[in-house]
Amino acid sequence: MVDVAVIGAGQTKYGNHPLGLKAMWAEAATNAFNSVDNNFEANLVDEAFIGSVAFGGAQLGNTAAILTEHSGMKGCSVRRVENACASSGFALRDAMMAIKSGEADIVVAGGIEKMNDLSAERKRYWLGVSGDTEWERLAGLTFPGTYALMARRHFHEYGSNHDDLVNISVKNHMHGFENEFAHIRKEVSFEKAASGFMVADPLTLYDCCPTSDGASCVILAADHVVREFTDDPIWLKGSGAGSDHLALHDRHSITQMSAPQKAVAQAYKGSGVATTDIDLADVHTCFTIVELMATEDQGFANRGIGGLFARQGRGIRDEGDVAINPSGGLKSKGHPLGATGTGQAVEVFKQLKGTVESARQIRDAKIGLTHNVGGSGATCAVHIFGRDR
Amino acid sequence: MDEETIVWKGYLACIGEDSCVVQSPWYLGDDCVFGADSDYTTLAIAAIQLLQSKGSQINSINALNDVEASIIFMATGVEVMQTSNDDSEELTANWDLCISDDARVVVCKTDCDVELWEPEGGLEVDEEFHQQITLAWEKECLPEHVSQGAYISEQQYQEGAAARLNLMSQKMDGELIWPPRQMDKKGNLMPQASTSLQEVATIESWTKLAAAGAPSEFSIRAPLLGGITTVFVRFEQGPRGVFLLVDDEDNNPKIGDQVQFAIRRIYAQEAFIRYGLKCQIIRD
Repeated sequence: MVDVAVIGAGQTKYGNHPLGLKAMWAEAATNAFNSVDNNFEANLVDEAFIGSVAFGGAQLGNTAAILTEHSGMKGCSVRRVENACASSGFALRDAMMAIKSGEADIVVAGGIEKMNDLSAERKRYWLGVSGDTEWERLAGLTFPGTYALMARRHFHEYGSNHDDLVNISVKNHMHGFENEFAHIRKEVSFEKAASGFMVADPLTLYDCCPTSDGASCVILAADHVVREFTDDPIWLKGSGAGSDHLALHDRHSITQMSAPQKAVAQAYKGSGVATTDIDLADVHTCFTIVELMATEDQGFANRGIGGLFARQGRGIRDEGDVAINPSGGLKSKGHPLGATGTGQAVEVFKQLKGTVESARQIRDAKIGLTHNVGGSGATCAVHIFGRDR
Repeated sequence: MDEETIVWKGYLACIGEDSCVVQSPWYLGDDCVFGADSDYTTLAIAAIQLLQSKGSQINSINALNDVEASIIFMATGVEVMQTSNDDSEELTANWDLCISDDARVVVCKTDCDVELWEPEGGLEVDEEFHQQITLAWEKECLPEHVSQGAYISEQQYQEGAAARLNLMSQKMDGELIWPPRQMDKKGNLMPQASTSLQEVATIESWTKLAAAGAPSEFSIRAPLLGGITTVFVRFEQGPRGVFLLVDDEDNNPKIGDQVQFAIRRIYAQEAFIRYGLKCQIIRD
C-alpha cells in the first residue's frame, strides 16, 4: 500500500476577509505551494478535492472547478466535497484515498467558505442547514440550540458545568492570541467569558465560534514522489471517518458522539498510534461543549470527566499534557465551515515542521491529530499526522 | 352544557353532551383574543379532540372557510366540509364547527342548541404585545415572505405531517420508531406509521435561544417573544423528539418535567402555515 505524506500546507487568515472566493483560494494555494521545501508547480496536481458548504449560494455549482481554474490547476480532476463543517476533513480523506488507490501521485485537499459578505438577515437563512432541518428547524433549533441541548444534558448526567466550558474558551483564546491566522486574536479572562450574553441557554457568546471567511489548502504526495519535493515530509499516518443520525432525537445518546468515536478508533488502528502518543490535537470547537465531548470521545479523558479535564486546566500547550487546539481552535482561530478541516491539517503540519510562530510552537511535537465534525455530529473525519513514517 | 371550565390543550373549554366550546385564555379588555401561536384551526382541532376524548364519533364536520381543512383532518381524522355562509344547502355533515368573532369556536351536532358560557381563568394579555404579535403573523403569512436559504417546502412538510400532528410512529420488532424512517439496516422498507405515541413525555434537556440565535423562520416573532424555547423530550414508549413550547409563555422548563402536547402554529412562509405539536409543561 502506498504511504501518503503532506508536502505543503497553507491558509488565509480567518475572519472578515476582504477578498472574494477566487482570491481567497489563490492566497491559500499560494501559501501551500510556497511551503513546499523544493519547487512546486500547480500543474503537477493530479486531483483536487475542495470542501465547501457554498454558504450563501454565491458559487453553489462547480465550486472546485472555478477555484482550481483560477489557481493554476485547470484541467485536473476536481470536485467539491460537502459534509457540512466536516467538508474539508472529508476532502482530505478522499485525497489520501486517491493516492492510496494508485490513481494519483499528487493531490490537493482544501476548503473554502465566504460567510461575511451576506447581510445579517440572509446569513441566518444559511446557518443551521446541516441538521435534520425538517424536524430540528421546525422545533426552533439551529446549532447553538442543538449543542445547548447536549451541554445541559452533559451537565445533568455527569456533573460538568458551565465553568468547565468557560475554561475551554479562555484556553482557546489564549492559544489563538498568538496565531497570526486567527479570526479573534484576543485573550479573555475567566470572568469576562463567564459573563457573556446568553445565545442558547446555557451557551453564551464565549461558548460560540465566530462565522469566518477563509480558505485552506494541503498538498499530499505518494511516497515514491515525496523526495522530489522535500526531505522532511509530514506523514499522514491514519485516517478515520464515521457518520450518525443527523437529528439529536434519533441518537442513542446526546452526551457523546458516535461518529467521532468510530472515526478516531479507525484512525488510531490504521496509524498504530495510541492516545498517549498524541502531542497536539486540533479538535472541532464550534461550541465549547464540542471540545469537552471531544476530549472524551478522542480518549484524552474518560467518559464523563471532560469537564474535570477542562477544570484542571489540562490541554494547555507545553504543560506536559496533550495540547488541545494550540491554534485557538474554531473558537478563536475561526470557523469558515468548508475550510476548517484542512485548516486544522495546516496547523498540525506547521507544528510538526516547527514553522508556527515561536510563542505557540509545541516543543518536540512529533504526532498530531485533527478532529473535524459536521453538523451536530452527523459526520466526522479524524486524521493522525507524524514526523515519522 | 356543563358550566364548568376545563383547561384543555392550553385553552379554556366547556363541554356538553353533543357540543363543546373552546376558546383562547387570553383577553384584551372584554375581548377574547388569540395567543401567540393560535388561530381558529388550532382551536377547532382542540375542540374536536376534546369531544373525541369523551367518546364522540365525528367523521365529518361543516365549517366555514376560516380553517385549514387538511390540517384538521390530519390531526383528528375528521373531514371538514367547507362552505360559505350563503351555501347552507352544502352542509352535509352531522356536526358543525362555528367560529365566533373573537377567539372562540363551537363544535356541536347540527341539531344541537349551544349556550355560550362565561369561562373562569381568563388572562389579560399585554395590549402592545398582542398588537405586535398579530402584526408579525400578518407579515409572516404574506406570499412574499419567502426563504432565502434553508427551506422546508409544503411538500416536505406534508410528507411528515401525520407524524408531526398525530405522533404516528412505526412499529418494528416490538419497538416504536418516531419520527418515521424509510429503510432498516438490511435495506428493507420500513412499515407504514400506524401507531400513535401517547401524548405524554419527559424533558431530558432544554434550551432557550436568544432571538438572534433563532432560525430565520422565527426571525419576525422571536424578538417579540424574547427568544424561543425548545425542549428535548422522551416519550413513555421510548422515542425522543424536539418541540417548541406552547405560546412560549411558560418558558422555565426543568429536566424531569412532564409535558403534554397541543397543536399550534409553528411558522409561515409563502402564505403557507406550518402547524405542529408543541409541548406544554404539566404543572401540579
